[in-house]
Amino acid sequence: MNHPHDLPNQKHSLIGKRIPLIDAFRKATGQAIYTDDIKLPGQVVGKILRSPHPHAKILSIDVSEAENIPGVHAIVTGRDAENCFGVLPVSQDETALAVDKVLFIGDNVAAVAADTEEIALRALGAIKVEYQVLRPFLKMEESLEQVPEELRLHPKTYDGTNIHKQVEQDFGDFDRAYDEALWKKRQSFRFIGVTHAFTEPMCTIAFFDADERLTVWSATQVPHYLHRALAKVLEMPMHRIRVIRPTVGGGFGGKSDPFPHEMVAALLSRKCRRPVKILFDREEVFYSNHGRHPSKIDVALAIDKNHKISGLHVDALIDGGAWGSFGVVTAYYNGVLANGPYKLPNFRYRGRRVYSNKPPCGAMRGHGAVNTRYAYEILLDEAAHDLGLDPAAFRRDNVLPPNTKTINELRITTSGIGECIDRAVEASSWKDKYGKLPFGHGIGIAGGFYISGSALPIHWDKIPQSTVHLKVDLDGGVTIHSLAAEIGQGSDTMLAQIVADVLGLPIDYCRVFSEDTDTAPIDLGSYSSRVTFMAGNAARRAAEELRKALIQAAADLSGYPPEVFILKDEKVINCTRPEIQVSYREAVRRAMKDCGALQSSGCYQAPPMGGKFKGAAAGLSPTYSFQAFVVELSVDLQTGKPKLHDVWAAHDCGKALNPLAVEGQIEGSIHMGLGQVLCEEFAYNKGNVLNPNFLDYRTLSPMEMPRVHPILVETCDPEGPFGAKECGEGPLLPILPAVSNALFDAIGIRFYELPITADRIWRALERQKKSSATLV
Amino acid sequence: MRLPDFDLHYPTSLEDIQGLTKKFLETGEDFDFIAGGTDVLPNYKNRLNPKRQVISLSKVQGLNKISPNCIGALARVRDIAAHKELGIHFPGLVQAAKLVASPILRNLATLGGNLLLDTRCYYFNQSEFWRASKGYCLKADGDECLVVPQKEICYATYSGDLAAILLVLNAEFELHGPDGVRKIPARAFYRGDGIERFVKKPEEVLTFIHIPETQSKTRGPALKTAYRKLRARDTIEYPVMGVAMGLKTEGDRISQLEVAVTGSEAIPVWYGDLGFNGERICQDTAEGLKKALLNRVKTYKNVPFPPGYRRSMAGEFVKELLLTLA
Amino acid sequence: MNQTRTKDTGSSTGNPKESFGNTLRFLTLRVNGSELRCAAPPKALLLDVLREEFNLIGTKRGCDMGTCGCCNVLLDGQAVPSCLVLAFDCEGKEIQTVEGLSVEVDGHLHPLQSAWAHSGGSQCGFCTPGFLMTAKELLEHNPHPSRDEIAEALSGNVCRCTGYKKILDAVECAAQQLQGISQEEER
Ligand SMILES: Cc1cc2nc3c(=O)[nH]c(=O)nc-3n(C[C@H](O)[C@H](O)[C@H](O)COP(=O)(O)OP(=O)(O)OC[C@H]3O[C@@H](n4cnc5c(N)ncnc54)[C@H](O)[C@@H]3O)c2cc1C
Ligand code: FES
Ligand code: FES
Repeated sequence: MNHPHDLPNQKHSLIGKRIPLIDAFRKATGQAIYTDDIKLPGQVVGKILRSPHPHAKILSIDVSEAENIPGVHAIVTGRDAENCFGVLPVSQDETALAVDKVLFIGDNVAAVAADTEEIALRALGAIKVEYQVLRPFLKMEESLEQVPEELRLHPKTYDGTNIHKQVEQDFGDFDRAYDEALWKKRQSFRFIGVTHAFTEPMCTIAFFDADERLTVWSATQVPHYLHRALAKVLEMPMHRIRVIRPTVGGGFGGKSDPFPHEMVAALLSRKCRRPVKILFDREEVFYSNHGRHPSKIDVALAIDKNHKISGLHVDALIDGGAWGSFGVVTAYYNGVLANGPYKLPNFRYRGRRVYSNKPPCGAMRGHGAVNTRYAYEILLDEAAHDLGLDPAAFRRDNVLPPNTKTINELRITTSGIGECIDRAVEASSWKDKYGKLPFGHGIGIAGGFYISGSALPIHWDKIPQSTVHLKVDLDGGVTIHSLAAEIGQGSDTMLAQIVADVLGLPIDYCRVFSEDTDTAPIDLGSYSSRVTFMAGNAARRAAEELRKALIQAAADLSGYPPEVFILKDEKVINCTRPEIQVSYREAVRRAMKDCGALQSSGCYQAPPMGGKFKGAAAGLSPTYSFQAFVVELSVDLQTGKPKLHDVWAAHDCGKALNPLAVEGQIEGSIHMGLGQVLCEEFAYNKGNVLNPNFLDYRTLSPMEMPRVHPILVETCDPEGPFGAKECGEGPLLPILPAVSNALFDAIGIRFYELPITADRIWRALERQKKSSATLV
Repeated sequence: MRLPDFDLHYPTSLEDIQGLTKKFLETGEDFDFIAGGTDVLPNYKNRLNPKRQVISLSKVQGLNKISPNCIGALARVRDIAAHKELGIHFPGLVQAAKLVASPILRNLATLGGNLLLDTRCYYFNQSEFWRASKGYCLKADGDECLVVPQKEICYATYSGDLAAILLVLNAEFELHGPDGVRKIPARAFYRGDGIERFVKKPEEVLTFIHIPETQSKTRGPALKTAYRKLRARDTIEYPVMGVAMGLKTEGDRISQLEVAVTGSEAIPVWYGDLGFNGERICQDTAEGLKKALLNRVKTYKNVPFPPGYRRSMAGEFVKELLLTLA
Repeated sequence: MNQTRTKDTGSSTGNPKESFGNTLRFLTLRVNGSELRCAAPPKALLLDVLREEFNLIGTKRGCDMGTCGCCNVLLDGQAVPSCLVLAFDCEGKEIQTVEGLSVEVDGHLHPLQSAWAHSGGSQCGFCTPGFLMTAKELLEHNPHPSRDEIAEALSGNVCRCTGYKKILDAVECAAQQLQGISQEEER
């Protein structure tokens, strides 16, 4: 298929090829350097004193005894840096350390830098903090109450309550659709929080050196936002701060905020003028959380007499924990991202995100869309069941067509939802199985869609969202400079593949340098599934610039017009007379002749789009991924334990630049989504996180994983780099409802609360037995 | 995460151990033994009753042999799980060993450590910071149980996998102490609450686990054994309910029945035949057995899964075990 | 009741008795075929010594509690979480870390390593060294494992990125490759 980004005669050497990630060998040999692997001369240990109370006023902090412990180099408290920060400009409600109040058990109170961990811990023990305990807000409903100012978690809340953000939207006439519906239902759903559980704990090293420059190494997805926040909190110009992102051991959204401990390490280092490393215990990672919001979502769905979805009403109450984080976006996403992949003529939404005295919630894979997606897809399944329709065909009948606008004015370009449903249905032999499997064995389907990056940037600066620089060596090696954070998703490989492909080079000509704010142009970072689309486009444009220069050089050398040349196999070839060739290196040297250094730059900025109403920007994306999954499972009727057999996962990724990497994203998303639907729980006992460890916070092991069959649907997005769209988050969405719908097919029971653990299934089966016994 | 400071000793023989323990008893210093360390070290990291003196058993010779009737306390769970002969005689034991923790932990875990495993509880198995913020519990640093509020009894749950099946097999534990050697039947070994747990004195080393020959295939028909474990995942999980059964039959009747349960109370419990010896094996008997066990099993809200569900599973398991073993 | 009921005083949060047992001792370990020495306190864990004293940073710290396998090394050929092993317990034993895998094959990649890269077994890669060590133990004992056996053997290791599929693929692929190598050697 010919894509607008292709030259007329250029064939791809790397795009679409299944190739190992370019850092795979470093990772398989233990040579990849993560933050905790770095040890600077003179480095000391930083540790944070944490609040034992969920909500309290700090009356005093006495560090005098701790300061006198030999081996202690610096102590900081909230008063040392009171400037607020936060990932979103609209909710700057975090400080490096608590200033007046602590807001959750585990909140940061003071910090110590010392020679060893032992000394640092002893010093923490010697810091005396006087608290006045305040009433904690631990249930979302309590945060809706109007309370005196002292009980509000932050100065900016709604109407004297602890509501952080309230959103209302109304499109079309939901009430009428509901009144006139052939089938309708209201249902309340409950979701517990879940967290990223990446394997690498947070780690940061900060060094404020003799030149009064600050360098911060940190396991972060957003070096640029970290850069900004450090500048604000430390009151230093950005050009005196350098952020380096070493190899990151997983993020999934959990490393996509600037964090207090990053500020704290910098403050400590500024005080003691030594490199300070803060490495979190696993328990501290849980206190940092920023995982998926627990929520209570009430949904009403209407289906009209033509079996078309006629109205959806979503009312979401979302528990944000102590800070704002990405929460304003979450408050919108819980509603607006219900506007696909099905046509929806009438839509009403209310979203309320509240503050509570728990570790903050934030962005996690599938940010904002997962829980509402679950609720919506369950009700769709119920509708199909009640109306005697096949749930797959019913969904197929309702899909959004390509090149359309949703009622809330999301611009839909390419859409593979129809093909996704068809192929998942086909591959799973759905028609032979749905409704036909024996009791205890079932099959279910669900769909989804997700943004490929947010069209509107968080900050209102008029700079491109992604910029990529290329620099060519004398022998033709290409260094790719970008600040798109490689966090294991393969973005470095994607950049190298695109650049090498455009230049007709083997991939190992490219070295990706994406870890350093001193050398990289700005990129907003790895979140909201934006990197392949945005940084990929920037890289493509930068490479096309270079290609132009090389073709001009070949034209100059050979005397043929530039239009006839293509780049292939390390050569610039005249495609009308292939025997006329200039070697790549010759072309490079020629192109360098007049300028000395061969460099280029490309950038990406999303085109203008969207409506004029309040909150119109939320959910806008230059393009969307689509997916439909079918799940087959069985239930152990004795214990209630579900066993997943197969998942057929059809995902429209636009174009699979590297199928190996795309499959990896789909398989990983499924693992994470299965965890949320089956067993993961960020549980509390009053204000304490009940299970801040990997024993009791359960991710699925290889033994519970089903066979996953990825199905790559390619719709070749005209604006995506070589047609590509996102694949890192969307594939998480359908797995949860697909499992639940399969459970219904298996045992005839609906689940409106997650996770669906064995004991809940067993209880439901017992109830079912009893009620059928009374019927007889 | 660092361990607290301690001094570490490497005796190579039981005599060395006696020398050390005698010294510590005299000086009044607290000490712990450590075998595989997979229980002691996480607990120490969490500052759960760490001791100043630690005696590592890793260099003690001769305590890791495995034969059907005698297993050394330092035998690795991994080796028990893979032992062919044991598998022939006591399939339930091998089955239980295969379900302990995870493969990498089974490579470290010893049988002795498993049998002497500390009890578990949401309020106990937490860091120093966590427990300080919640309020310390009776079992470590505090004076009130947070599961069943009172000050006398600790309700932490015994969560080892291998004790139940050894109760079924009527094993004997051989202890080596300053006063010599004594053998205690497993059925008399576990006593007390979540803190006391067993009758072993701190200075006694568990050396061997003896399984009576009458239970093995060497003499007549063996006791048929099996184990069922409830856990949320198929790996890295303590039992939150485990039922072991031994069964002999004559014709279609039960001639010997042994039931033991772990993952319920503060100690693993042997229930014997629950009054079902001589019963004909059928669905009704299995239902009856289930009810009888349900009347006896107690669970508390301090480990994963609701207590009611865990209890119900004990009933389901015992029923299933009877029907499958018969 | 017994002694465990006495209040803990060994905790690290500011107790003066802390220094007890803090004296360093000489530790000698055989790691990847080399004899390495350092001074360490009795409480030193194998993981700490490998990373901090010997700078073998390929072995990762994920949970510090035996629940993730990121810190796995081979101890006398068996994969164990080094965060739960006392360093002094390992004296006289053979330790192999991820850095030792390629040493074993003359500096080339071990078949498991190349299989990992080519199958997509690493995304963020933080779990990879630990998985490699567990997989190595498996293939040494069971050169032709079924997929279920692989899953079982690796079930003490946690990966949050891959969903495990490509990790199982990698082990299968390495098993085939190793099979090829051993057949060649036979010839
Ligand atoms: C993540 C995780 C999951 C786990 N899951 C399970 C599970 O599913 N099932 C299960 O049963 N266990 C589980 N365990 C616990 C543990 O791994 C096993 O029970 C193991 O068998 C304990 O043996 P060990 O040698 O490591 O014990 P250690 O930690 O060395 O010792 C445990 C206790 O026994 C004492 N001790 C040990 N040997 C002797 C001896 N010979 N004489 C006197 N005292 C002795 C020690 O002083 C200590 O009090 C798990 C552990 C972890 C970390
Ligand atoms: S760090 Fe050792 S098992 Fe997780
Ligand atoms: S690759 Fe990231 S945890 Fe396994």
